[in-house]
Amino acid sequence: MWTNKRMVFIFFATNFMFGLLLMLPGRAALSGFASQTLMGQKLAGRFSFDFLFDFIRENGTIIDVYAVLFMIVPAVYWLFGLFLSGGAFAMFNSGEKFSAGDFWWNCGKYFGRFARLLLLSLPVFGVLLLLQFVWVGLERLFWGSDPYQYITYWGAWVKFGLRTISILLFGLVLDYSRIYTVIADEKRMRISLWRGIRCAFTNLGQTFGLALTLFLAGVVVLAFYNPIADSLSAPNGFVIFTLFLAQQLYMFWRMMLRLTLYSSQMHLYQRITDGVTLSTAARSDDVGLEGTPA
Amino acid sequence: MNCLERMPLQQKRLLAAITLLISSLLVLPAKAQEPPTLFEEPLSPRIANYNIDVQLNTDTKVLTAQELLVWHNQTQSVVYELQFHLYMNGFRNTESTFMQGTGNPRRSQRIKDKGWGFIEIDRLVVGYPSDIQNLPQTLFPDSALNAMQPAADLTAGMTFIQPDDGNKEDKSILRVPLPKPLRPGEKVMVYLDFRTKLPEPSFMRTGAKKEYFMVAQWFPKMGVHINGEWNTHQFHSRTNFFSDFGVYNVRMTVPEENLVGATGLQVSVSKNGDGTATHFYHAEDVLDFAWTTSPDFVEVTGKSQDVDIRMLMQPDHLDSQDRMLESTKLAVQYFQDWYGDYPYPNVTVVDQRRGAESTGGMEYPTLFTTSTSYGLPKGVRIPEMINTHEFGHSYWYHMLASNEFEEAWLDEGINTYTDMQIMPAAYGKEANTIDVAGIKIGQTTMARAQYLSLPDADPLIKSSWKFYSGRSYGINSYARPGLVLTTLQNYLGWDTMLKVIRTYVERWRFKHPRSRDFFDIINEVAGQNLDWFFEQAFYTNAILDYTVSDIFSRPVKKPKGYDYTLSTTQEDSVVTNDENTVEEAADTDTPSAEGEEKLYFSGVNIRRLGEFEFPVEVELIFDDGEIVRENWDGQALWTKFRYTKPVRLVSATVDPDYKIPLDANLTNNSRVVKKQTLGINKLAVRWMFWQQFVLDQPDFANLLFRIGEVLN
Repeated sequence: MWTNKRMVFIFFATNFMFGLLLMLPGRAALSGFASQTLMGQKLAGRFSFDFLFDFIRENGTIIDVYAVLFMIVPAVYWLFGLFLSGGAFAMFNSGEKFSAGDFWWNCGKYFGRFARLLLLSLPVFGVLLLLQFVWVGLERLFWGSDPYQYITYWGAWVKFGLRTISILLFGLVLDYSRIYTVIADEKRMRISLWRGIRCAFTNLGQTFGLALTLFLAGVVVLAFYNPIADSLSAPNGFVIFTLFLAQQLYMFWRMMLRLTLYSSQMHLYQRITDGVTLSTAARSDDVGLEGTPA
Repeated sequence: MNCLERMPLQQKRLLAAITLLISSLLVLPAKAQEPPTLFEEPLSPRIANYNIDVQLNTDTKVLTAQELLVWHNQTQSVVYELQFHLYMNGFRNTESTFMQGTGNPRRSQRIKDKGWGFIEIDRLVVGYPSDIQNLPQTLFPDSALNAMQPAADLTAGMTFIQPDDGNKEDKSILRVPLPKPLRPGEKVMVYLDFRTKLPEPSFMRTGAKKEYFMVAQWFPKMGVHINGEWNTHQFHSRTNFFSDFGVYNVRMTVPEENLVGATGLQVSVSKNGDGTATHFYHAEDVLDFAWTTSPDFVEVTGKSQDVDIRMLMQPDHLDSQDRMLESTKLAVQYFQDWYGDYPYPNVTVVDQRRGAESTGGMEYPTLFTTSTSYGLPKGVRIPEMINTHEFGHSYWYHMLASNEFEEAWLDEGINTYTDMQIMPAAYGKEANTIDVAGIKIGQTTMARAQYLSLPDADPLIKSSWKFYSGRSYGINSYARPGLVLTTLQNYLGWDTMLKVIRTYVERWRFKHPRSRDFFDIINEVAGQNLDWFFEQAFYTNAILDYTVSDIFSRPVKKPKGYDYTLSTTQEDSVVTNDENTVEEAADTDTPSAEGEEKLYFSGVNIRRLGEFEFPVEVELIFDDGEIVRENWDGQALWTKFRYTKPVRLVSATVDPDYKIPLDANLTNNSRVVKKQTLGINKLAVRWMFWQQFVLDQPDFANLLFRIGEVLN
């Protein structure tokens, strides 16, 4: 992954810029409200909820601003991520060293297809989300419509787990659909979607295992990060800068993890299919597909 | 061979007969058990005394009951009619005053077809027996009618009245003209046959959910005759209750397997042989009677000081039993130690059932309902807060039996104030209510958050149904009076305020105090007239907000011109509201000569942004560490402080010790000469990180959603 560090930087820079975009209005409002007061200093220590309630009361418009930002910015970020993933998958598919020109060209080449793929895959996401209701049905079956609270409590955690699995599975489908699109230079996204679903589910152990491993790695490191961040609460500029540095290093590491996942999935797909997804002769169930060499 | 074997047959038969006779005498039904006398001397006037027999039909959720009420006219007025509260009729249909006032679902429930409730009086008989004084206290309705003669059946003469809003559809107040006037000191007996349908699922604190019944406001309850007239308000969506004290003897017949919890003490339980059992409860000097029953209750007992605690827990909440019991014990301890004796021997705590959340968090004499849920983190001290609050109602609402219709703050507000003292003492100053995942919130902060959401819609004292909205009612009955009284406490001192509350309890227990009575006690104990405070805090919607609006500190430059000298003594500090001060004369633009001590001219302007006038302290900190404190009476719109010193002014703070939680904006209480952004940058950095994280891992929102479910 380090050989493609420029790609990592692109992903990280994107995440950083969008994070900045979401942070700046809040910071400006905070500064306008509190920088001329002692609270501007005190907030470097423990957070004050009295301050929070004062802030919300006196700065109601910031809530409206963020309501709009939270609708728009994440959507734009995820679309941009989709855009960047075209370049990343293409780089991993070619196996060549990172080239900015090739990277951006492939980002543009595949973005339209990936956007269509995303829209096509939403019903799949909906179906996957229904997984959690399997538990709801089981709960009804075994405990009726009025179960004790410890049933509903633990059941809600089961549903949470099922939702998490659904989201991971959806990510897998989307990833392998994109991989197929790049490898086969496929222009029909329903074919790519079908391929992605097939690959993800027929090799579930490998595909899910890989994704889950990297997901858990992110969670575990976050569990380590939080206490460190909490301990860095001394009110001085150096500590806050250190905190900032630690956060961005973590996010950089996450971007490496994401690209590692993409790369690993690409290689896994190629290994699973032995590279034979590309020629028309090798596929008996596709109709009218023009393949590209493996 | 023993003596029996040696006995002749005839003697054996005689002995058997005698034995049988003695045995039959021993198993004859015992006399109806008399309740114990709890208080040798009555604690209260015992105006309204009830003996009730009630049978619960668990299938139809209907109570069938007979009530015998002995009402004592202890006023100086002749009474020509009786007025009863029929609170359950508030849930009769959509046209009641109560339902008209809701508009939205109440307590997360919406009444379904079978969910309406009512109370129907089938028969009402009034009697004036000549020997009424000598009738036994436990004369139950089944044997009362004979004892009531001469009596008049007034069933046909009952009418519903609507003194508050004229809504003819509302049937929450019943009027019964008396056949003969009741003079001061006289008593009247009233016999009622009535049926009560409980709403299912439970609604607004009462009703049924499958096997669980919380039975409150279920019987015809006499209104309060005070100041020469009946003070009987309709049941509104935002009102509580008002009644007189008395003695209650209640026999509740429920399925045999059910546990019962109720106001007062259990006297006996007798099985009826038909699958039901009758539980007899007795209570003295109480103003209401509520009860609950379920076969699923798990009983947990404890004791705090001289009070027996009986908790009726739900089987799926047993993980909370320790914290529930501990918080009740602490509540008993703090209230008795700080505010006065709780005279009753016991308290019952009822854990609401799942699906019946509307019954949780409510108070009744010697019984209150609470709320918890399985898996609630220990740092979310909502059950502790509820238990402290609901036990507190034993004092504010019950012993100090204020009119909850007209002055809701007198019970809810004082109770919120005592919550704000007890929760920090019991669970820590800062994080006594929420202490989880780094989030630390105390009672005072929660009260401020509620208050600030709508701080100026109404004055604090207002009839409950006349507030601008349900939220305004909540704020002015709970949070705002809590903050007002805490501010007053900080002004007077903890010891003085404690003495105020203790005096209030001693002087007004088992009576009907009003706001003015409470204020008079404060003035008396504090030794000063605080009407200026009460007028603003209770009778207006004035907001209290002081701010440091300006601050500066700049080098004094050598003056030009004739005869001008500078001094660094304290006398140069200037406190004025006059524009023409020496500050202009001191602030010139000639640089100081080298070698001369550098002086700084510093100043702060303090402004009163709200209408509420309150004395404040101002703290000024200079860069050599010197701290200066000034006092201002807070009456004018602004004041200014000026100093000339060899050190710079760094910051100024109004109310530096945070004695005025009523202040609407604590952040503007301070100002600094040089911008402080360290804390802002730290917040910004952490906020940015979480944005980056969630953008990269959007399924994290799934976890947030789950956490929200747990805390909800």
